[in-house]
Amino acid sequence: MATTTTTPMAFSGRPSVNWTLTFQRVITLVVILLLWQFALMSGLLPKITPGVPDIVTSIFTVVTMGNFWVGFGYTLFAALAGWLLSCAIGVVLGLLIGTVRPLDRSAALIVEFGRAFPTIALMPVMMLVLGATTNMKITMVVLAAVWPVLVQSILGSRRLDPGIVSTATVFQIPKGLWFRKVLLPSALPFIATGVRISASIAILAAVGVEVLTQVPGLGRLITLAQEAERWDNALAYLFFAGIFGWLVASLLGRAEGRLLRWNRQSDD
Amino acid sequence: MRTLTNVLWRLWLPVLLVVLWWFASANSTNLFVPPLSRILGVMGRDFTNGVLLQAMSSSLSNLALGLLIASVVGVALGLILGETKRLRLILDPYIHFVRSVPQSALVPLIIGIFGLGSASKIYAVALACVWPILLNTIDGSLGVEVGVRRVSRVFGIPRMLYYRRVVLPGAMPQVIAGIRVALPIGIVVMVVSELFASNVGLGFYILHSSSTFRIPETWSGALLVGVIGYVLVIGFSLIDRQILAWYHKSGAR
Repeated sequence: MATTTTTPMAFSGRPSVNWTLTFQRVITLVVILLLWQFALMSGLLPKITPGVPDIVTSIFTVVTMGNFWVGFGYTLFAALAGWLLSCAIGVVLGLLIGTVRPLDRSAALIVEFGRAFPTIALMPVMMLVLGATTNMKITMVVLAAVWPVLVQSILGSRRLDPGIVSTATVFQIPKGLWFRKVLLPSALPFIATGVRISASIAILAAVGVEVLTQVPGLGRLITLAQEAERWDNALAYLFFAGIFGWLVASLLGRAEGRLLRWNRQSDD
Repeated sequence: MRTLTNVLWRLWLPVLLVVLWWFASANSTNLFVPPLSRILGVMGRDFTNGVLLQAMSSSLSNLALGLLIASVVGVALGLILGETKRLRLILDPYIHFVRSVPQSALVPLIIGIFGLGSASKIYAVALACVWPILLNTIDGSLGVEVGVRRVSRVFGIPRMLYYRRVVLPGAMPQVIAGIRVALPIGIVVMVVSELFASNVGLGFYILHSSSTFRIPETWSGALLVGVIGYVLVIGFSLIDRQILAWYHKSGAR
């Protein structure tokens, strides 16, 4: 999905700061926060909504608390483990399915079904089979996050240029070399996109499982804070969940851009 | 004949897997993994006595309403942001931040504020679905050709008409793509919000049956949600092809 990032530091080496824009952004943030506060004081927002000062204080106190870091660690571990597993499984299976024509036709329906399946619906079943454990959480993450990588790997390996394929056949290039030098580079741009999307889904799934079960993590902290009516803390956790998601998405987006620069150049 | 072999190629593996599941689980004594025949039997029973139909209608209407709200808000905001560059630049980092919040983390807060009823489910779906639609609409409106823009300016077309007849149709393919991205997210949030706390709906059916140890019901509910999700996503892409037939035919992509 193409997004509009129009920050001025796009491709130049040194980020040049647009001070007018930054100033306007800060003003906007202040206005939003003031509106929140006024809406709260005038009774437009529900009474339980915490004020801006409370939330800001919570954000700073939460960072100093051990259980926040422990919860964050649990979420990070499960999301990371599930994501890495998804990438490994998705790439291997995807390249296999994408290059072996009969396999491609046979597996098409299963892949289509799997990617459209709202995996979180299986959570209660997984709870029964595996219990409220970290393994269950990682399994759920893999079940949710493997599909983008798989689908993109299949698409990527299908895209092999027929000319290159025949050249490789004619020159009898060994299988291992063919895999490393022909298949992988041509599928890589697609795989990279799948890997990036699946990272966001992995975080979503890990937090989702934590919200719904007793499995410890950031999502569990949010549920607990809500049940204890500590709305300021809940919003602070939510803020960090957002920062986490945003960091992962933008880091992977940047890595993808750097890794595939050669591809972009050859495209235009 | 060729289509028949094609269908056979596509079907044999899924059918084989289901058959394997059927026979492998037939004599299952594991309490948590009931035989597939029992799961399907329970599903049939609850369909005929109306329990599942009622759950489905409440879940799906919440999903539809949430998605509708998200589409209206997302498209309206997206068109405005797409047409006013300054505003777009200013709000860009905030939109990207809010979009990055894992949608499932919002569910406890929304249910805490709006209660158990369907309002909280609708808001949760709308809040999760609005971002892809918004971002895609912005992209779509940016894609409207400069020439078209200039012509409508030269002819002094009124603002509202310009939005309705020039920018919106131009952005339509992107808007539909945004809704297609939003739909699976909406389904997931629908399920999560119902599993979190509810007294009606498919999520409630799953949750209630698992907490009362009626395991086949839990399985059948989970499978049903999966099938519904699949049917919705496939159905939407068919409708998409219908609505955007002019666009796909034009070869503009």
